[in-house]
Amino acid sequence: MKLKSLLYIFNPAKRADDALQKVEGAAPSQSYWMMVRKQLGKNKLAVYCLRVIYLLIALALFADLLANEKPLACSYNNHTYFPIFRAYAVNMGIAEWPTELQNVEWKKLNYNWSVFPPIPYLPGNIDEANVHSVSPFATQQVKSTRWRHWLGTDELGHDIFAAMIYGTRIALLVGVVSMSIATLIGLMLGALAGYFGDDRLKVSRIGLIFNALFFVLAVFYAFGVRSYILSDALAGSSLLFFVQVLFSLLIFLAVMAAGNLLALPFNRLPFFGKKISIPIDIIVSRIIEVMISIPTLFLIIAIVAIAKPSLMLVMLVIGATTWTGIARFVRAELLRIRNLEYIEAAHALGYSEMRTIFRHALPNAMSPVLIAVAFGIASAILTEATLSFLGIGVPADTLTWGALLSEARSKPTAWWLAIFPGIAIFITVTVYNLLGEGLTDAMDPRLRK
Amino acid sequence: MLKYIVKRIFIFIPTLIAISLITFVIGINAPGDPVETILSKQQGEGQSVKGLADESAYISMRHKLGLDLPLFYFSITNSTSPDTLYRIAKTDVRDNLAHLAFIYGSWPNVAQYYSAIKQFENHLNIIKPDSSNAENLNKAKAAVSVLYTNYEQDKIATLLKKLDTVISIRTNSLELVSVNFNAVKEAEKNIIDNKSSFSKYIPVIHWYGFRNQYHHWLVNFMRGDFGISYQDMRPVGPIIWDAMKWTMGISFISILLAYFIAIPIGVKAAVNKGSRGEKITTSGLFMLYSLPNFWIATMLIIFFCGGDWFSWFPAPGAAPIPTDAPFMYHVTQGLYRLILPLICWTYTSLAFISRQMRGGMLNVIGQDYIRTAQAKGLSENVVIWKHAFRNSLLPVITLFANVFPLLLSGSVVIEEIFSIPGMGQVSYNALIANDYPVVFADTMFAALLTLFGTLVADILYAMVDPRISFTKATA
Repeated sequence: MKLKSLLYIFNPAKRADDALQKVEGAAPSQSYWMMVRKQLGKNKLAVYCLRVIYLLIALALFADLLANEKPLACSYNNHTYFPIFRAYAVNMGIAEWPTELQNVEWKKLNYNWSVFPPIPYLPGNIDEANVHSVSPFATQQVKSTRWRHWLGTDELGHDIFAAMIYGTRIALLVGVVSMSIATLIGLMLGALAGYFGDDRLKVSRIGLIFNALFFVLAVFYAFGVRSYILSDALAGSSLLFFVQVLFSLLIFLAVMAAGNLLALPFNRLPFFGKKISIPIDIIVSRIIEVMISIPTLFLIIAIVAIAKPSLMLVMLVIGATTWTGIARFVRAELLRIRNLEYIEAAHALGYSEMRTIFRHALPNAMSPVLIAVAFGIASAILTEATLSFLGIGVPADTLTWGALLSEARSKPTAWWLAIFPGIAIFITVTVYNLLGEGLTDAMDPRLRK
Repeated sequence: MLKYIVKRIFIFIPTLIAISLITFVIGINAPGDPVETILSKQQGEGQSVKGLADESAYISMRHKLGLDLPLFYFSITNSTSPDTLYRIAKTDVRDNLAHLAFIYGSWPNVAQYYSAIKQFENHLNIIKPDSSNAENLNKAKAAVSVLYTNYEQDKIATLLKKLDTVISIRTNSLELVSVNFNAVKEAEKNIIDNKSSFSKYIPVIHWYGFRNQYHHWLVNFMRGDFGISYQDMRPVGPIIWDAMKWTMGISFISILLAYFIAIPIGVKAAVNKGSRGEKITTSGLFMLYSLPNFWIATMLIIFFCGGDWFSWFPAPGAAPIPTDAPFMYHVTQGLYRLILPLICWTYTSLAFISRQMRGGMLNVIGQDYIRTAQAKGLSENVVIWKHAFRNSLLPVITLFANVFPLLLSGSVVIEEIFSIPGMGQVSYNALIANDYPVVFADTMFAALLTLFGTLVADILYAMVDPRISFTKATA
């Protein structure tokens, strides 16, 4: 109480505020997002879903500690080691394996003592004693219950539980990365179409010509000249490909910027300098129509089938084909917002278009985007599972949930190959869908009490 | 109304052209060589095309498929790539030469190198193999065929060295071709010596005119000629038509089923909002919506089609129904086999539609005129079905346009699992086999159907809601 009255000294206005609140019994003027959070907190189902999502994220982050062939901690030749953590350090290049632990079979070592992770297998490990899909209930050829395959094994003797845990990592990664890509594209195009509409994007004639010309040049220098480098990178690691794509995009942007700079001096000319408006809304709407007219799965399979299997590519393609939902939401929202008075005020204050869009218009259009992202993650995970199920896109040695499920097709008696990954996909998709639903409700002003 | 429809159909045209361009771009980037695939299929599996006689077969097949034309109306490439590159028959040789030109920056030198190899190969082929030189001759021929598809300097160098040792053996007749071989070596040296690394940064536009693959395909498509499948040389039209009958038939039944079940469920759920039964139905529907259909299909097969559990249904891909069976047997057996696929096909759209129906109904029930109707003392049934239902039906009808592409996408997996020869399976197999004539036609038809679905939905919308008029500014 004393502290509070002390605070009033520094901020007398707050006293009035608090007093007013006491009288009205109302909440303090809270931000929109706080309100949404509070509203979401009231929705028990959504809260549970959030918890499940946290759990899934934890599973994905700590997969190495939950299922691994190496012990968490052990004592070998009277030295204490923490092999899993050491493996991280070795991967980062900080530490090295001691000679006695180089290329060892971790399970066959004679430890003084050892603590193994709950699932003492990696998804890639092959248990030769338990090949040909051993049921979780059947007698398994294991040393003790500690080494049991709790969810059975598949045809090659992979532990299903370990594969399930690492599958979480891939599923969430696909969901988040592909949705980030989709959000980026959707926000950009949606904002362009919605904010500028058909009448507000004005470019001088020479600017238009230069942009078209330099667009061709930019594609040529960013992707045409680098096509061999890019295709080599695609065959290599995902990270390398990502870096190369990023580099290409940078070149693209640089060329476009150069084109626009070159166009500047011509803007003074009488004919070329005349401003014409670009019907950007029509253009974007047509692109969206094209995208939704092609069955998405056809398109994804077509693109994925012609390239070498790569998880990065799958995420890129899913992202690049599913942005239409977000773009439509943002477009609709910005079409509404652009006519509001505060945008006019921003114009009157002389703010640049960029600043008005990014600082003032877009933040107020974010709520439908958030909903679309939640639903989008669910559908991205489902799409990846479908692709893995069909056996395309994801490399064959990556055991994803969908890949496990497809094994059940060739072996119909192995129900555990179908049920566990299926439930995992189902739960993940459901929680994201329910979260999307909860967000929709939380942001609906009609439902606010 | 008619004016509106015509206008909409005109708007379809650029959309369809864009879609055709997208599929075309994907198609030309597909790996593998369709000509080689067809020829090796005709000659028996596993054989690749080699030798002079086969080369002429290759060229004539390439011409027959129209693949000897430039790809598009124009091309924008770097200045190292010539406008006549498409004339080189073999895909891998062509790609390799383009790569070589890209690295060393001079097409004339690369062309000289190519023709030198060609000459050398021709002369090698003239030499009659006998016991003294057969082994070396084969070695040389093998090395030459690898030379066609290599662009790395050190690999070419090792190949040339290998050839050098083979040819310089005096005892056999191979020394006859040493002149030609020296020409190859010189051409290679010439390429490397006159390397220019800047010409690849100069963009060049080549104009090819209307004689190009895309134009031919588009014109033929509009004439109703969809080309021939690379897989079995059948015309694409009948393939698509057969597949379409399956998918359209099943989709139609499934949409009907979905609407018939979903609408009452949605209405009931909205009317009894808050009751326990409603909560269970709603969450059940939601879960149904999130269930992956390939999982359900797999589970149904595991548990109901033989296996260790129930064998109520024949396994997918079971023996076809004999054609001489009586008609009714066809119908009952056909339906019986379609039960499981239909379940998988229907439940997602069912959940989707009923959720939308519930939402629409809830919106309407909150309106004033419903309260007025209730206040007038109308019976609950009349209020619900006559006043509320008719108005909330609107958004649900337009869902038809959304459900349709969903079904087409879903058909890929379900048809694959239940081995139904529909659009999904045909396109999937075509995609996997890089059979692009089929993929093109399939994608175009799918897109046409989707666009048509949107149009029908819009027209239905107008028929149900008199407030909507298309005669004023709508588009």
